[in-house]
Order: sequence, then C-alpha cells, then structure tokens
Amino acid sequence: MAAEERVLNGIIERFPVLEGRVRIQRRQRMTMEPLPRRDFEKVFAYLTEEGGFHTFHLVIGVDDGDDLGFVYVISNDDKIALLVKQKAPKADPRIKSVCSIFPNALWHERELVDLFGAIVEELPPGPSYPLPDGWPEGNYPLRKEWKVEYFDKETMTYNPPPAPEPAASEQPVAE
Amino acid sequence: MSKRITIPIGPQHPSLKEPGCFTITLEGEKVVNAVVGVGYNHRGLEKACESRTYIQDLYIIERVCGICSHTHSTAFCQAVEELAGVAIPRRAAYIRVIMAELERLHSHLLWLGIAGHEIGFDTLLMYSWRDRERVLDILAMLGGNRVNYGINTLGGVRRDLTPEMMAEIRKVLDFIEEENKYYIELALSETTLAARLAGVGRLSHDDALKYGAVGPVARASNVPDDIRAIDPYIAYDEILVHPVTDDHCDVFGRAVVRVLEIMDSIRMIREALDNLPDGELTAKMPRKIPEGEVFSRTEAPRGEDTHYIRSNGTEKPDRVRVRAASEANWHGMAHMLEGDYLADVPIIIAAIDPCYSCTDRAIRLVNPEGGEEQLLDWNQLRRYSIDFYKKQGFDATKIKIAERKIML
Repeated sequence: MAAEERVLNGIIERFPVLEGRVRIQRRQRMTMEPLPRRDFEKVFAYLTEEGGFHTFHLVIGVDDGDDLGFVYVISNDDKIALLVKQKAPKADPRIKSVCSIFPNALWHERELVDLFGAIVEELPPGPSYPLPDGWPEGNYPLRKEWKVEYFDKETMTYNPPPAPEPAASEQPVAE
Repeated sequence: MSKRITIPIGPQHPSLKEPGCFTITLEGEKVVNAVVGVGYNHRGLEKACESRTYIQDLYIIERVCGICSHTHSTAFCQAVEELAGVAIPRRAAYIRVIMAELERLHSHLLWLGIAGHEIGFDTLLMYSWRDRERVLDILAMLGGNRVNYGINTLGGVRRDLTPEMMAEIRKVLDFIEEENKYYIELALSETTLAARLAGVGRLSHDDALKYGAVGPVARASNVPDDIRAIDPYIAYDEILVHPVTDDHCDVFGRAVVRVLEIMDSIRMIREALDNLPDGELTAKMPRKIPEGEVFSRTEAPRGEDTHYIRSNGTEKPDRVRVRAASEANWHGMAHMLEGDYLADVPIIIAAIDPCYSCTDRAIRLVNPEGGEEQLLDWNQLRRYSIDFYKKQGFDATKIKIAERKIML
C-alpha cells in the first residue's frame, strides 16, 4: 500500500496536526476525522490543488446529533478513494460549495440543502433537488429527529405529537 | 440572430423509466442552452433503510434500479460484509460475477434497441430485444425473476449453479456472441448509423473528467476507468476485465463501447463458468454490524455505482447513501446537448442510458417573447428527429438487417 502511504505522509507533512486523524482503511480506501470548516477548507484545497485528488465522486450528509457531518469522496490518479469530512453545528450548518472546483458536486450539494438543511454558500442558483415543490419549510427528512410517520403526504404537513408535559417533580415551584 | 425559444421536455416520459425535465433553449434548430431537472422520483429509500435491518434493506436496495438491481445489491452486500469483516466464499464471488455480467448483457442489449428506436431503426430494436429475452430467460432460471433476481444475500449468494444451468448459459452465450458480432459489424460499417451518430452529443476527454462521467459514457471519451479493473471486487481480481475505450467522444463512440463490452462480458462469463470454484455459497454474518463506515463501489452497466454505509453497532445502519451511475452522468448532459440540433436531443439523452421510471412524456414549446405555446409528446419529438434527418439524406428506417440463422 505504498501509494496510500505516500498520500498519508503528504497530508501529515503538510498538516502535522492531522497525525493519527487520517487512516488507511484498506487498499484504495482512506478516511479522515471530521474537521471544522476552516481546517477542512485548507485540507481540501491542498488535496485538490497539490495532492492530485482531481476526481469528485459525491458528498454525503450525515446526522451527528448536534452537528451535521459532510463526507466528501474524492480520488486521485492511483484511484485511492479518500473520505474527507467537515462538520458544522445543526443550529448554523454553513458550508462552502465546492462546485467551483468540481462542477459535478452541484446536485449533491443541493441534496444537502433539501434533505439536511445545510446552508451551502456560493452554491450556483437553480432548482431545488430532490424534494418536490410545496415541501414544508424547515423539514429536513434525513435529519434523525425527522420522523416519516409524522409527515402527512396528502397535506404536505409535518405533525409531530405535542411534547409531553413535564413531570410534577419538574414543575417550577410556585412563588 | 434567430429568435430564441425555450422548450421544457418532461418531467413525465412514458417510454423512459424515470421522470426528468430538460428545459432546452433553441436558436433556430440549435440547442444553445439546456437545463436538466431531476428529483421527480425520489423515493426516500435511504431514510427507509435507516429504520430497517441490514437484511431487510437488501430488498430495498435491490429495487433502486430494475436494470442494475444486482450491481446495487452487490455494492450494498460487500459494504456490509466489509464492515462485519466477513469474506464471502469464492464460489459465491464467482456467481456474483456471472450474474453481474449477465446483467450487463441484458442492459447493453436493451440500450442498443432503445438507441435504434430513437433514430428510427426499429428493426434493430426488434432484434436486440429478442436477443435480450434469451438473457432474461437465463437470469430468471438462475434467480427466479427476470429482474430483481434476489441472488445476493449478506455473506454470499442464495442460489447455486447446476451443471445443467451452466450448459444453458453457455448455449445462450454462443447465440448472443454470434448476434453481437453482427451488431459490431453494423455499428462499424453502416454509413447511415455513422452519419447519424458521429459528432453528436460530444463530450471531450477533459469534459468527461470535469463532469465526472462514468461507465461507457466516460470510456467513449477515452477515460479508461472501469471499477472492475481499477478497484477489483468480488472475483474481478481473478476474472480480469479488458476495459473498452473509444476516442470518438460522441454518441457513436458510446454505441461502439457498449457493443464491444458485450463481447468482453461473454468472455468473462465463460471464464467464470470454466473456473467456478467448489465450496459453500454463504459465510456466516453477524446480526449486529460493528461500528464503522465503508465506501463501496461496483461497475454497473451504466458505470460506477457507489454505496456509503455508516454502521453504529446495531442491526440497522446509521446512514445509507446510494449514488447510481446515471446520477453521475447527468452532470455532463447539458454540455452534451448544447450546440447540437433539437433533432439530436432524443438520441443524446438515450446515449447515456439514463435510468427512468415510466409515466408520461410531454414536451411544451414556449416562445417567451411571443407567448406562443405548443405541446408535443416524446413520440412527436422522435418523429420530428427522424424526419429531420431523412431530409438530410440519413434514413435509418431503410437500413437492411442481414438474414441470420436463429439459434434456439
């Protein structure tokens, strides 16, 4: 796995802080721990501009509880698929589009907007994808808290049950 | 400068298999701008997978696509097997290869017929679909179904091959091989086909890379990537693929690549049958899959399929993400359409072998300046396309198919 080692060493040499956070899974597969946006952008720029990762396969959204995760799959001329990740808080899931580097990221990023509620800055304008027109705002189906059983597809409304009343012991003490 | 007219095509297309909308702006007869809209058939299967067990998910995944069902279930199974650290028996790996290549045969023959139909060469449609039936018969014999064969299971395959089945497969391969030799000759020597397809729907080598094209579309732009070769899975480390490339970078090249790939698939199936190892069909799989993540890919008839699975140590996956080959090839579609005639639109769209589901076909012609509107359906567009080229002297309906002996 010399080619994978070369990629690993190149990343660590450039970003020593990533030592132990980049892993060779097997031949032609490498993965990286999620990075905050600013760090991710530096690493992604290095990989695509200097590291030889010129092929973009897709970006995958994941729900990590309080954060949203974004897994970018890119590969180089040795056909090593590297999973580069960034995370953003669910309260403000702001990431930057990579369409200026990889035009084929467009629909994948639109999908992050529709299905995860990501805010993708510099995303080229165009129709939404893949949810239908009239989909209720603020409903992001691939977030874990969104339950399909509460969605009425006839009226296109999301109707979760009311939050349970706090137990008597949790009631604030009346003054 | 001619007046510009914008034409929304779709999203409903009865003859294609998934709804998509193409908003095409014309200047005279030429396409100057194309916008591709998809998402009309999003089924939420990834969300569905999160609330079901891995083995239940297999039934959903096999139905991502009716044509490429085996390649999707293979991508999913090998991802789960990798997460579980389970190696499947070699016999199972060989059977997966045989099914995958049979699937490629039926898919490419299907495409050949559709491509013929779109340019008015319906005789080719009749012949290639007749041949495809023989492959579907074999798939039904092996799996019990013409599509969604249900061969794959987590840890291996569900059904074995008997000597009688293998003999039947060989018989059909002999038949398809003879037929396909003729299709290759036709593709390479029939001047009407060359005139109709060459230079249409161009996608240069650099643009194929830029837009992330995959499969025969990429290989027809001289991008030699084939997942079976560059990232061998199941038994492709022993049954080696000979990737077919072409440098025409157009619809003609995409046709040539597919008919030549049929020959390579026939060779690979014979090789797998000749060397089919003895042994078990399945390895034991744990019910709960250890925590981890896997990026899995396979070479579907249409190109690279990718599956990403994140597991959380339970019986159900935390995240399943499927990216089919058609999704990758749509990105370059607008570029392929721009600069060509409206009459070329059907064959350019068909040439990426897009995956659709059938409902309706409609084309609305709108002149934004004059407000005039005209409704066409896909058949009328196809008719327009055929008539347009007849006037140029290229009539595919007149191509004669040689009389051939039918091997039953």
